[in-house]
Amino acid sequence: MFSSCQTRVAAIKLLFAQGPSLGARLPVLVVLSAVLMVVDARFEILQPLRTQAGVITEPAYRLARLPLTLWEAAVLQFSSRSELIAENEKLKAEALLLQGRLQKLATLTEQNVRLRELLNSAALLDERVLVTELIGVDPNPFTHRILIDKGERDGVFIGQPVLDARGLMGQVVEVMPYTARVLLLTDSNHSIPVQVNRNGLRAIAAGSGNAERLELRHVADTADIKEGDLLVSSGMGLRFPAGYPVATVSEVVQDSGQPFAIVRALPTAALNRSRYMLLVFTDERTPEQRATEAAEAQEAADREAGAQTPAELPGASAAAERENP
Amino acid sequence: MMVQVKSRNAWVIWASLIFALLLSVAPMPQFMEVGRPLWLAMFLSYWALALPHRIGLIGAWCLGLVEDVLFGSLLGLNAMILTLIIFLVLSLQRRLQMFPMWQQSLVLLVVFGLAQLVQLWLNALTGSRPPTLAFVLPALISALLWPWLFAILRGLQRRFAVY
Repeated sequence: MFSSCQTRVAAIKLLFAQGPSLGARLPVLVVLSAVLMVVDARFEILQPLRTQAGVITEPAYRLARLPLTLWEAAVLQFSSRSELIAENEKLKAEALLLQGRLQKLATLTEQNVRLRELLNSAALLDERVLVTELIGVDPNPFTHRILIDKGERDGVFIGQPVLDARGLMGQVVEVMPYTARVLLLTDSNHSIPVQVNRNGLRAIAAGSGNAERLELRHVADTADIKEGDLLVSSGMGLRFPAGYPVATVSEVVQDSGQPFAIVRALPTAALNRSRYMLLVFTDERTPEQRATEAAEAQEAADREAGAQTPAELPGASAAAERENP
Repeated sequence: MMVQVKSRNAWVIWASLIFALLLSVAPMPQFMEVGRPLWLAMFLSYWALALPHRIGLIGAWCLGLVEDVLFGSLLGLNAMILTLIIFLVLSLQRRLQMFPMWQQSLVLLVVFGLAQLVQLWLNALTGSRPPTLAFVLPALISALLWPWLFAILRGLQRRFAVY
């Protein structure tokens, strides 16, 4: 009773309270925001500030996700035994399948290394990767961006490629201390240089704003491209590593009224379903450096091989020719 | 002359605003993303209507900056929009307080719609333009949710005697 009375007295007092006029503050704040926006868009000055302020992002997204996380944990806790057994069976079968493929991969890798040695090209180094988890999706439905749980402290850098088990997903566009933002391939601001795996035809795959579709720009009407073709990253533009699957062509429309063919493709990565992703650390050396170092390594290897078994290299080349007629 | 009144239970206001920030980044099913209500704008509007001496333009601007950091949008984008919303709400505050609920919702629909329009322009300037008219949907849903939010926040305010 007392408190409500007090509230009312305060309310009456406040009815006549007046701060500095609103009209004076509004233009100042609007101009300030506009200046901030221009500076943020055009210059790099605000980048460190953003990075530091980004510390709050991860706890906020985690906290916002908490009910969902708890729900998932509860479901996992109470999911029945038979379900778990079925899942276990499925995983075992999958593991077997993957092991089978891995065996094939081993022979292929070996063959690849040998062929590369023959060609004296860059030494094939497996690219270093880092596993990361999705922690948030951009609340704006018109941009395709996600938040991942690795940041500056883990060595993530701007422009770093991100992939999932099936293909390329996108690139890092903002790095915060413990998190990073990834722009997906299908964002309408994103394009990636690709080539058709079958014949090496180059093209640019631009995002369409639709999570299930990429569009190939400026493909000639007569170009050899058809439905079902696999598009892989071409490595041009020096941002994405070459050879990762990007999309499969889903539709080719050849309209004689249009200057170019309309080619649509379906991303191979599960862009809106993947929970775990890989961050790829590519080689920072320039192609020349890599070539020089590869040549030196090759020479050293040759010397070693020459000292031990002089007849090994011709044998390897013959084997490679047999396998790859 | 400015009448100084000591604030009471102001933490309720701040807690509700932080809750609104969390709601605005909470995961939602894909098909509902398009119509995500403008949570922060709604919560701020309520406090601006109920306690105009506690919520100022500068507070709204700072919260907008926090939103920008959370969303990863251009710094100042959401700040400008929130400032505009709170400016409109504060300048209409005396009238809005007299209105019945449906009329309040209607006025807020216009205010939020204007804000969404400004956001569309700013996004178009930076090159990412949503392809459809769906950008007004959040304003509509916010206006529809307004009476319920109003009732809940009013209950909170009474319960904790915030002023």
